[in-house]
Amino acid sequence: MHKIAEVEVQHDIMVANRKLARRNQRILDKDGVFSVDVVGAIGSGKTSLIEALIDNMNYKIGVIAGDVISKYDAGRFQSHDVPVVGLNTGKECHLDAHLVENALGDLPLEEMDVLFIENVGNLICPVDFDLGSHMRMVVISVSEGDDTVEKHPLIFQDADLVIINKVDIAEAVGADAEKMVSDVHNINPEVKVIKSSLKIGEGLDVIIDSLQGFMKKF
Amino acid sequence: MHELSMAEAIVNTVLDVAEKNDAEEIVEVTLEIGQLTMLNPEQLKFLLDVLSEDTPLENSEIIIEDIPVEIKCRNCEFTGSANTDDSDHYLTIVLCPQCGKRDLEILKGRECNVKTIKIEKSDEDA
Repeated sequence: MHKIAEVEVQHDIMVANRKLARRNQRILDKDGVFSVDVVGAIGSGKTSLIEALIDNMNYKIGVIAGDVISKYDAGRFQSHDVPVVGLNTGKECHLDAHLVENALGDLPLEEMDVLFIENVGNLICPVDFDLGSHMRMVVISVSEGDDTVEKHPLIFQDADLVIINKVDIAEAVGADAEKMVSDVHNINPEVKVIKSSLKIGEGLDVIIDSLQGFMKKF
Repeated sequence: MHELSMAEAIVNTVLDVAEKNDAEEIVEVTLEIGQLTMLNPEQLKFLLDVLSEDTPLENSEIIIEDIPVEIKCRNCEFTGSANTDDSDHYLTIVLCPQCGKRDLEILKGRECNVKTIKIEKSDEDA
């Protein structure tokens, strides 16, 4: 004879990640490391922005370079002589708190002020995965098209700072940067949006000021 | 986009619980997916079917319950169901229904929860 039984499971896969994220934040807090989750579209300039911040911010910086294959970006950061951990996500489209926890163990946190975590280029999946960072900076560029914000609202709803990069080529690619700014504010009215062109150094000082403002509140 | 890894985590959870409860077969699995979770239920179901092959999950029915968004507004203190616009399930923008602001704490709507499973077991184990 067989019988049917109902078993209460109540195991939330998302909660498991959020618990790990809180633990990551406690690890970072213990050593006083301010951390920024840098998310954005592929090719929007996330790596270039972090490189510019390493060179122009007067802090001891470390980087977690997350990518499907991370060695390319990790190599770029290493050439700036900062501690770097590359995280290969392989088939995965995002970093999660467990991967970041492993990387934290390989960084000299006690010697660092700021940690940049470069997420996989993707405006969708990282929304679901809190890493335990203190803020999230979203980087997009005009070359993705000026409807990018409208098409990916959730990542902007959660953003603490938004960078719209490559504004110097907006006209050439037929994009309206002002529309992108107003689209962000439609979704997240309070968030600061900075237009930049990292290639020519435009907007970098404003980004640094803004990050320092967040660090003061840390 | 990360339905495959989520489906793997769900299958592992279900098989683990089923084994601990001496299940011979899993008849039904009920999942709760929040409206703000970036998972497409159709893709998730498809991948669960694929991953279930040759496991005790193979012939089970997968039920996905949609969890609406509940919020606490940091502006006006409203707590309850959010206003969500009518865009797609996983592109929902959330507003406070009382003051219209978006500075909110999300209380519900981000779940990927294995809620219950129904299993078949032999009476002798009971």
